[in-house]
Amino acid sequence: MPIMWRSFMPNLPVNSVHIRIDGNDVAVRPGISVAAALLTEGYRSWRTTRGQQQPRGIFCGIGACFDCLVILNGQPNVRACMTTVEPGDEIATQEGTGHV
Amino acid sequence: MTNSFDAIVVGAGVVGASCAHYLVEAGLSVAVVDRGSVAAGTTGAGEGNILVSDKEPGPELDLALLSQRLWTELIDVIGPAIELEPKGGLAVGYEQHTFDHLRAFATEQAACGVVATPVTGADLLELEPNLNPEAAGGVFYPQDMQTQPMLAAAHLIARGVRMGRITLHTNANVVAIPRDARGAVTGVETTTQTLQAPLVVNAAGTWGGEIAALAGVNVPILPRRGFILVTEPLPVIVNRKVYSAEYVANVASDDAALQTAAVVEGTHSGTILIGASRERVGFDRTLDWTVVQRLAQQALQLFPRLAQASLLRTYGGFRPYCPDHLPVIGPDARVPGLMHACGHEGAGVGLSAATGFLIAQAAIGVSPLLSLAPFAAERFDAHHVAVVHA
Amino acid sequence: MSDQRDIIIIGAGAAGMNAAYVAAEPGLAVTVVDANPCPGGQYHRRGALEQRYRPSGCSDENRWARVEILSGQQVYAVNSMPDTGHVLVRMRGDERHPHEIGILRARALIVTTGAMDRQLAIPGWQLPGVMAGGGAQSLIKGSGVLPGQRTLVTGTGPFLLAVAASIVQAGGEVAAVIEANAPAGLARHTRKMFPAAVAKTAEAARFAGILARHRVPYLTRRRVTRIAAGAVDTQGRACVSEATVQRIDSQWQPKPGTEQRFDVDCVTLGFGFTAQLDLLLQLGCAITDAPDGGLAVLVDERQATSRPSVFAAGETTGIGGVDLASVEGRVAGLHAAAELTGRAPATALVKSLHRQRRHLHGFATALALAFPVPTQWVNDQPGETIVCRCEEITLGDIRSARDDLGATDPRSIKLLTRAGMGWCQGRMCSFSVEGICGRQANVAAQAASASRPVSVPVPLGAIARDENVMRESAQ
Repeated sequence: MPIMWRSFMPNLPVNSVHIRIDGNDVAVRPGISVAAALLTEGYRSWRTTRGQQQPRGIFCGIGACFDCLVILNGQPNVRACMTTVEPGDEIATQEGTGHV
Repeated sequence: MTNSFDAIVVGAGVVGASCAHYLVEAGLSVAVVDRGSVAAGTTGAGEGNILVSDKEPGPELDLALLSQRLWTELIDVIGPAIELEPKGGLAVGYEQHTFDHLRAFATEQAACGVVATPVTGADLLELEPNLNPEAAGGVFYPQDMQTQPMLAAAHLIARGVRMGRITLHTNANVVAIPRDARGAVTGVETTTQTLQAPLVVNAAGTWGGEIAALAGVNVPILPRRGFILVTEPLPVIVNRKVYSAEYVANVASDDAALQTAAVVEGTHSGTILIGASRERVGFDRTLDWTVVQRLAQQALQLFPRLAQASLLRTYGGFRPYCPDHLPVIGPDARVPGLMHACGHEGAGVGLSAATGFLIAQAAIGVSPLLSLAPFAAERFDAHHVAVVHA
Repeated sequence: MSDQRDIIIIGAGAAGMNAAYVAAEPGLAVTVVDANPCPGGQYHRRGALEQRYRPSGCSDENRWARVEILSGQQVYAVNSMPDTGHVLVRMRGDERHPHEIGILRARALIVTTGAMDRQLAIPGWQLPGVMAGGGAQSLIKGSGVLPGQRTLVTGTGPFLLAVAASIVQAGGEVAAVIEANAPAGLARHTRKMFPAAVAKTAEAARFAGILARHRVPYLTRRRVTRIAAGAVDTQGRACVSEATVQRIDSQWQPKPGTEQRFDVDCVTLGFGFTAQLDLLLQLGCAITDAPDGGLAVLVDERQATSRPSVFAAGETTGIGGVDLASVEGRVAGLHAAAELTGRAPATALVKSLHRQRRHLHGFATALALAFPVPTQWVNDQPGETIVCRCEEITLGDIRSARDDLGATDPRSIKLLTRAGMGWCQGRMCSFSVEGICGRQANVAAQAASASRPVSVPVPLGAIARDENVMRESAQ
């Protein structure tokens, strides 16, 4: 069953930021982090480790643990928790080192 | 538990570990004593170079060649855990004249038994596909190897411990080296206990001078600072140990000022190590961003792709060197029972195997495979007259 | 624009912003540098589009006009210039602009880099759906998004109440709050307490009230002993489905037969906080041990560190919460400005701030003593437990380095296992590794593992091209 993510803040702007996640067009609220955008789209993890290929998502939430690394506009190893979404962002899940 | 051993090795770095290993192989019981933990000094700050390529013909190259052979045997003894990789080294010259120098140097080395193959153009890029294609040429040294030096030291000691032949005393600072009536060493006193042995091997690296002083002799060991940059984990983009031509000149140099020349290599874990800086600034650990920048620039000159890689951390350490840049290896003629195995500067990991082997030979009275005369501790005494061997 | 400033403050949380406000005397160029998209720090974190953060009592906009705030700038290194006494602050742009490197020079520096949740390795803590307590709060405060539908809030300390209250107020469900200590301990330590404690206690009571209204069980002397992933997310990847909680003894060893299962999709962990001391360690500031078993920078009455013209305030001086951070920030700001202007701050103000600081500090110490965190139990968990998340180093790997290879301290364990060598540079695992080493590491050893010469990754290309360094070396 997909997990629904609830947002609590009333009077928040509508989902007006259009981005792409793994190639799918989605609209999210302005001002939220890339990690929050992924969570609201039902992602719990968005990268795999380079050793054991294990899934990882957001952990520390404040930029210290580097677990929430993601590919943003082609750039790998971006901390999703430290980055605010911008219109047109291309977000892609990351595998291993993130580099090819 | 007994406090009496055939030999005591002061220093649990890679040199001390190798000495202990070969002493055990020679049938001796050994205590290894370290002021800190295993591989906590210069070994823990090293890159794990086992190089013949950066040595000019002379006693150090002979030592390096012996060591290279011994390391290939050691991997059979201690296994893959030490991450020994016979990956080969590649010295690169950008300009035609530096490449010409490299080739001339390689010819001299080849006469001493070093395998060195000049490579240019497509062959060079086949060896290192991500190398800057503008380089004039390089020399490939298939004998160069890399190990993870901390693991190498730890596993060498652990093997002896498992066999019941090595007793490891960490966090034990040697405070005295007692001597008997005829001046021979009787063991060491640490902050916590007295250990007895008729043979004490000074493998204390940067602190080798202090240990020698406890035994009443002068061995001038000085620190030469170096920093290493560590990148984020990357896919394999560097296959060999790759360095620029200037590295060889810097290794041999006597200059106190900062010298940097890129040495770039990948590791098992995917990170890329970028060395090497050399400065004589005492024991100051403060990171110098001028050094970081120069290393980054030189590494990018070799591998432009590294521009996108992030610097995750740096580490630094102090190479223990002697004024003539040769290590001190072998019995100290001034103090019976005292041997030295220190002052290897930046080559300690590579030279450790031969050093330990020669120390063990000396310990059991076998005539050494290489002459120890160039490495004698007494060479620094003012009245010392070098004995010229035929 | 010139790179010269009078006072640079690193961190725009409560401590930094209070410091900036009081330091912004006419004639002083004051700059705040902060890694987040907007000021506020962890406590006052807010969305990028919300009203900007102004600390209470800091409403004079003429004063703020003198404060330059550089958000989204991550300081990766600081060092003092031996000749001029200036401090060099090296920073890079945010995650979108990591190649943009800048350097600022300051006559005085105030470090208010705050703290992060302190973590201990537990089987399953690396699974998607497990979050730091502070991380869950930052998601809610910063983006208005819940970390999960049904969350188990675990760890120790009054902060658990705050995390749980944030979640239920945001419309989420908290299955239970699992507190490893006993809250009665707090009353014992805060009896005949300071006036400052009243406000904090009231806050805790308010959180407790919120949780009671939402019928959130508050279970003490228990901890989570296992987290399992039996569910998948919308992408088909494994994520948290349940957590096992057990009663524990005073050393936090689980009592057999007390297992209790919670079906949750999110677990938060938090065992107090770790001060972010990277920059202060780079400067060589003297470090001391804090009552919570962690480290803190040593400061004097003026919040001055052992290094000239370097001040520190907030969690870097010892975990104390937002009120103490605010007061310390003010003290630091006043004295940093006084040092540069040569005008002593008003005695009455200084006295009043010092009194508040003393009370709040006493309360913080009492809290630390009431919520102790033993760590040796970490060693007694299954060998496959991941300790170093970045390098996926297990407890078994570390035990074998300790028992077979003679690694007796965190640094040797790092060198022999790679625990702490990955992206986070040991920020998540060092407390666990200390516990596995089995003896309380001394301050020097702890400081060695907290020492990070590069406090945020910087692209090599940016460093190579940095003209500021070239200028420096030309001088």
